[in-house]
Amino acid sequence: MLAAPGALVMLAFFVVPLGVVVAEAFTDGGAAFGRVFADVTFWRGLWGTLVLGATAPAFSLAVGFAVAWHLSGLPENLRTSLLFWISLPLTFSGLIVAYGFILAFGRAGFVTLSLVPLGSDPATFSGFLYSPIGLAFAYSYYLIPRVVLILLPVLVNFDRAQIAAAESLGAGRLRALFDVLVPQVMPSAVAAYCLVAAVAIGAYGTALALVGTQVSILPLILYSRISDTGADFPSAAALSVVLLALCTLVLAAGEFYASRREHRGSVL
Amino acid sequence: MSIRLSSVNFRYPSTEFGVFDVDLDIRDGELVAVIGASGSGKTTLLKLIAGFESPDSGRILLDDADVTDLPVRDRRLGVVFQAYALFPHMTAWQNVAYPLKIRKVAPEERYRRAMEALFRVGLKGFEERRPQTLSGGQQQRVALARALVFQPKALLLDEPLSALDASLRGEMRDEIRRLQREFNISTVHITHDQEEALSMADRVAVMERGRLVQVASPRELYDAPATRSVAGFVGEANLWDGTVTAADAVEVPFGVLHVRPGNHAAGQRVAVLVRPENIAVGRLDGGAAVFEGSLVRDRFLGAMRRYDLAVGDAVIRGQTGFRGAIDAVSIRPEHILLLPQ
Repeated sequence: MLAAPGALVMLAFFVVPLGVVVAEAFTDGGAAFGRVFADVTFWRGLWGTLVLGATAPAFSLAVGFAVAWHLSGLPENLRTSLLFWISLPLTFSGLIVAYGFILAFGRAGFVTLSLVPLGSDPATFSGFLYSPIGLAFAYSYYLIPRVVLILLPVLVNFDRAQIAAAESLGAGRLRALFDVLVPQVMPSAVAAYCLVAAVAIGAYGTALALVGTQVSILPLILYSRISDTGADFPSAAALSVVLLALCTLVLAAGEFYASRREHRGSVL
Repeated sequence: MSIRLSSVNFRYPSTEFGVFDVDLDIRDGELVAVIGASGSGKTTLLKLIAGFESPDSGRILLDDADVTDLPVRDRRLGVVFQAYALFPHMTAWQNVAYPLKIRKVAPEERYRRAMEALFRVGLKGFEERRPQTLSGGQQQRVALARALVFQPKALLLDEPLSALDASLRGEMRDEIRRLQREFNISTVHITHDQEEALSMADRVAVMERGRLVQVASPRELYDAPATRSVAGFVGEANLWDGTVTAADAVEVPFGVLHVRPGNHAAGQRVAVLVRPENIAVGRLDGGAAVFEGSLVRDRFLGAMRRYDLAVGDAVIRGQTGFRGAIDAVSIRPEHILLLPQ
C-alpha cells in the first residue's frame, strides 16, 4: 500500500508516455523505422552520439576515479565537506553549464581570450568546444561528480593494506594495483561508466544551448524533428525508441557485467 | 636468517614520532616480540624492516646483506598485517598462491603448494572459501599460510592477534609459535599485549618514544626490568618512590624496606619495584619488612585473589591464593628491586 502513490506516479508519467511513444512509432506498421534508418542524418547522429557516449564517460571515469581515490584517503569530515562542493554541479541546470562554458571557452570567452597572447587562435580554440569531443568535455562537468559518488563508497571501504600486502608478497606497485585494486573496483567502475554513458547519450539541454543543432547527435536530431512544422511524429517516436534502446542497452551491459563479476572468482 | 638493525633513525615529517638510534639483532630462527604503548614506534620499526618506510639514517641487514635501499617486493619477507589484508576477490587458496603467481610458479605447482600450506595451518577443506566467509582465526591462518608459502627470509607479524577475541587469542599464540618453530624462521612480532609477548617470544624488545629501552628474555624482562617504565609496562607492579638510607635499607612512603646490599649510595633517589605475587600475606620472620593496614580492594579471580592494602596514605598491591582475612603483609629483601628514578 505504501508503494501505491509511487506506482501511480510511475504509471502516469513513465509507463503511459512511454507506451504512447512506442505505439506512435509503430502506427504505420513500423515504416517510420525504415524512414529513420534510410536517413543519412540518423547515421551521422548515431556516430556522433556513440563518440560522445564513449569519450565523455571515459574522461569522466579517469578524472572521477582519481578524485574519489584521493577523497577516500582523507579524514571523514574533510571528505564530506569536499564532497558537497564536488556534488554541486549536479544541482545546476544544463543551460547554466552551457552558458558557463560559452563565457569561459567560447569565441569571446575569458579563457579563450587569455590564451591569445600565447599564440592561440580564438576561432580554432573555441571550435573545439562545438565538436562532439568538446561537448564530451562540457558533459564531464556534471558526469564526474556522478562517477565520484558511485566509486567513493567502494574506495572508502577498500583496505589499502591489501596493496602493501601484495607488495610484500613480491608484486610491484603497478602489479599490486592491477591484481588487487582493479578487480575490486571494476564492477563499480563499469557501472559508473555505463550510467554516465547513458546520461551522455540521452542528454540534450547542454548540447542545445552550447551548439544549437550544429553537432549531429541523436537527441538534437530528435529535437529538430519534433520542433519542425509539419513534423513526422511517427519517425520522431521511432527515433525516441532507438535512443531509449541505446541507453537501456548500455545500462543493461553494465548490470550484466556487475552480476557476472559477483559470481566469478579471480582466475589463477 | 638473521635480521640486523644498525643505528636506524626515522622521523615522520613534521612530527615527533619515529624511531631513534635503534640497534637490534634478531638471530636465525628467533622470535623477537616488540612491545610498547601506542605511538612508541613499534609498527614503524616493522615498516622499516619490511621496506614500507626508508630510514633517514642507519642500515638494515638480512643475513649480513644490506637491504636498506631494497624495495619491499625484493626483500622476500612474509608480512602478516593487523587486519590480515586478505584479498576478498580471491578464494583462500588463491590468496595463498598469490606470491607464487608473482614468482611465475607453474599453475599446478602453485595450487599444490598453496594446498599444502593451507593443510599445514589446519585449513584443509576451506580452500575454496572467500576470506569474508571465514572466521577471524581462519582468516589469520590464511594470512600466515600466504606469508610463509614462498619461503620468506623472515616473518613480520603486525599485531596479528589484536582482531581476535580473547578465547581464540591463546590458541593462535600457540599456533603461531608452532609454525614459527616448524619453519625455523626469524620472526618479529609487534604487539601491545605484554602477556602475548612474554608467552611467545624468545626475547622481548620494549620501545618507548621511538627508542628501544630494553631487549631481554621474557623472564629477565619481568624479573629485572631496566627502567621504571619497563617495570610498569611489563606485568603488574608495585612501584614506589624511595630514598636509599643505608646499604641495605630504602625508605618508601609507608616505612623502611630491607634490601639486599647493592651499589646504591645513601641519599640516592630510586624507584622501588615489588611484584604483587611477591608480597606475602601475614607477618613473616627473617628479615622481611612487615606492614599492617586495611584492605581497600579485594578481587576474587578464582585461582587467585588480588587485593590493595592501604598502609597510611600508600597502597600495597598483592596477589595470593590465601582466602582468609588480610591485615598485614611482608616484603622480603630478595623480592625488592631498586631502579633508577
